[in-house]
Amino acid sequence: MAIAEFLLFVLTTTLGGMFLCGANDLITIFVAPECFSLCSYLLSGYTKKDVRSNEATTKYLLMGGASSSILVHEIELQEIVNGLINTQMYNSPGISIALIFITVGIGFKLFPGPSHQWTPDLYEGMLHSWFSSFRDYECNRSIRRQKDHPKMIISWLLRTNQIRWFFFSIFLTCSYGTKVEKIEKNQSFTTTDEGFLEKLRIIVAFLSVTSKVAASASATRIFYIPFYFSSNEWHILLEILAILSMILGNLIAITQTSMKRMLAYSSIGQIGYVIIGIIVGDSNGGYASMITYMLFYISMNLGTFACIVLFGGLPPLAGFFGKLHLFWCGWQVGLYFLVSIGLLTSVVSIYYYLKIIKLLMTGRNQEITPHVRNYKRSPLRSTNSIELSILFFQN
Amino acid sequence: MMLEHVLVLSAYLFFTDIYGLITSRNMVRALMCLELILNAVNINFVTFYDLFDSRQLEGNIFSIFAIVIVAAEASIGSAIVSLIYRKKKSTCINQSTFLTK
Repeated sequence: MAIAEFLLFVLTTTLGGMFLCGANDLITIFVAPECFSLCSYLLSGYTKKDVRSNEATTKYLLMGGASSSILVHEIELQEIVNGLINTQMYNSPGISIALIFITVGIGFKLFPGPSHQWTPDLYEGMLHSWFSSFRDYECNRSIRRQKDHPKMIISWLLRTNQIRWFFFSIFLTCSYGTKVEKIEKNQSFTTTDEGFLEKLRIIVAFLSVTSKVAASASATRIFYIPFYFSSNEWHILLEILAILSMILGNLIAITQTSMKRMLAYSSIGQIGYVIIGIIVGDSNGGYASMITYMLFYISMNLGTFACIVLFGGLPPLAGFFGKLHLFWCGWQVGLYFLVSIGLLTSVVSIYYYLKIIKLLMTGRNQEITPHVRNYKRSPLRSTNSIELSILFFQN
Repeated sequence: MMLEHVLVLSAYLFFTDIYGLITSRNMVRALMCLELILNAVNINFVTFYDLFDSRQLEGNIFSIFAIVIVAAEASIGSAIVSLIYRKKKSTCINQSTFLTK
């Protein structure tokens, strides 16, 4: 399993996501998510030997394929509607049907409420191969030098091209997360030649974050520009999606025992908050609030995936402000019901985040873990700033 | 008359293949249904391109893009199918229950 194809897939995925964010055309809105998704299927199926990840990839492929086909059908309906609008038919039911299709299509990619089934399976399957190898292996010094490969390429690209910093900052923080976690462990993992198995964690973090960012960016453009005149209808649709995803994501996350699935369900809940931002729109800075929340969400999610074994989330710090801004904009526009549900589910989500901290502090036998006891003595000074910055953004 | 026939055909193809994709136990059959869904959409595109003012709507170009992307997706799907087949010697989707609770 060489490193070359891995880098190719990751970069092509990022490229697809960036094209999606800058799409001005219906064709681009179809081709760019396809480029993103196809490379994501390849990334998720990268470890060929592991059966669980194969199964996760098949599920992802079939669900992604179905959603892409529904999206294509919507685009085709949209073209028909454009043709009809040219002949002066504004309020035809075709617009409503096209709207429903595109909400379903984007709904699959963004996974809000009803179409969230494949997410936890995907996270669990993909992380499993990394997790088991992580526990068994021992460290090798030469492997650490191999870690610099993605960062070298990224820095070269940043110097030579005009690239939107959003996606590449994601990649950089991914590789930082790897380094931080390895060094502060002070232990061991190695592999004989697969030094990149810990990059699998990067894959999951990367996929989970970039797909959300790209899909929400495309959702804002699609819902606001072509469907401007029927804004009441898609407000209702998106409100239903937001409510479902907030409630479902947070409630199911309470009952999870596996940490990976819990993270997946919590990310489903986060998408509900983001959709509130999409509904609010431009009037009160809704898009700005959505973007800031996405920033915090990215840092939070990456930090969580990077420190998946030891550290959990601190009580709401920076993410709090993102949520506050979102809810404030929603309240001003008049979405009282949505914002109240959002507040309730935020309180619920604190519960399962604190569960992680409790696990960190007390361990299995309800006594203080040696990590907390040795905290002052461990040589964490070299990476303290990075760790603190990651921890600070967790919610 | 002609327009309605074509629309009914593409709608029928679309929904039949979505049903086939959802309820197929064989992975290869699921991939075929995926292809057919996009074929239905292509039929629609070409028909409407013929009907409307073709200076603004590029229906036929979109069909070509759709064909290319579907071909790429089919190749990736076949790679994943061959991956599973090597492990289990069968392409039945129902058998893999590792990730379900």
